[in-house]
Amino acid sequence: MNQPRILIFACKWCGLIGADAAGKKRASLPARFRVIPVECAALVEPDAILRALAGGIDGVAVLGCHSGGCRYNNANHASIKRFELLKDLLDTTGIGGERLLLSFGTAHEYHQFEEIIENFFNELAALPPLDPWLSPFGVVS
Amino acid sequence: MVVAVWSGKLIMLEKTKNIAKQILEEKKANGVLGLMKNQRDIVQPHVFKRLPELDALVLEPKWLLAKLSMSILRSSPEGYRLAVLCRGCDERALIELTKRNQIEKENLLTIGIACSQEQAAICLCDRPYPAKVDAGEIASGVDPFQDERVREFLIGNDKKRMEKWANVLKRCIKCYGCRNSCPICVCEPCKLEDDVWVQRGDVPAEMATFHLIRAFHLSDTCVACGACQEACPVNIPLLYLQLSMRKTLKEKYGYEAGLDPEKKSPILSDFLKEPETGREYPEWINSLREKDGH
Repeated sequence: MNQPRILIFACKWCGLIGADAAGKKRASLPARFRVIPVECAALVEPDAILRALAGGIDGVAVLGCHSGGCRYNNANHASIKRFELLKDLLDTTGIGGERLLLSFGTAHEYHQFEEIIENFFNELAALPPLDPWLSPFGVVS
Repeated sequence: MVVAVWSGKLIMLEKTKNIAKQILEEKKANGVLGLMKNQRDIVQPHVFKRLPELDALVLEPKWLLAKLSMSILRSSPEGYRLAVLCRGCDERALIELTKRNQIEKENLLTIGIACSQEQAAICLCDRPYPAKVDAGEIASGVDPFQDERVREFLIGNDKKRMEKWANVLKRCIKCYGCRNSCPICVCEPCKLEDDVWVQRGDVPAEMATFHLIRAFHLSDTCVACGACQEACPVNIPLLYLQLSMRKTLKEKYGYEAGLDPEKKSPILSDFLKEPETGREYPEWINSLREKDGH
């Protein structure tokens, strides 16, 4: 089976704690993902997601706080619009907006982290590889 | 019929000349930026400063003057006022530039020219007229999504489309023409020149980074003038990349770049404060519903 690679940007107030908890509870998770802690979901530049896709990542997930639960003046709501546009761009070019996942949750919901990653992993496995879009130089090994 | 079109164009030209003359006579502006046909019949942009020069003024072909007027205004002494002959896309680009503090509003006068129906069809322009029309008749807009050439690139099987785009973008020779010609691309330094984002020196450009980063940076500012596409030496349909993002902004958030000088881009603001149309979460978001029993 096609083994997709996932990059996760997790907001350090919610998503990251959830991911941590999932690890502590020994939840069964697919192995091929990496978590990058960020201060807020809104700080993830869409450019970084494009860079990741060019570098051989199959899907990018951005985890933030619940709506209304953001520490920074509802910044996570601004990220919704940004990623909506990015999804449009990915759809246009045929990369597919489903390679981008934006999800809001709180820190204690580790089971949701487990569920999301599992589902995302399965969805990505069904997609064709991104070969024509890979960068000849910056492929992540 | 042909005569009617020609006379219409002549009337439009005369009208424009009169307005430009008036501006220069009343000293409303130090110069009028427009297109001039020189003795060798070559059309070039020119700042008209004296009245006799205005005889050589022409309106065709389409030539975007927004970026040029910005560089003229920037290099001019303080208090220099410039009048610009602008089409719809030009005017919208100028409004976007004033919004981004690149041009001072007080130093700019616009003379709005409506594009002809043929021009609108060539540009696939959905709004081929400026907000303030001084000369010409308003033509009806063209919906780009109805065009067969566009649909080929935007609609259909994902995998085929991916290959289609990849094949087109592979032609890129990385001349940076799309960025340089874009009236709104003004960032200094530019991300496309940064090794972190785009590998320098490799041709063709990395597709997912170079082209899509450029396209995304213009997501909420693109005025669909088509300058990138016209500048491209290998005919990559770069404008098509922007169309669906523009559509989303228009339909969900009621925002179109360059229309209202006071309205800020929606991607900078809170999602919940949007008018009703934008309030629902996009369906693709994996909203974290609470599990049963929690």
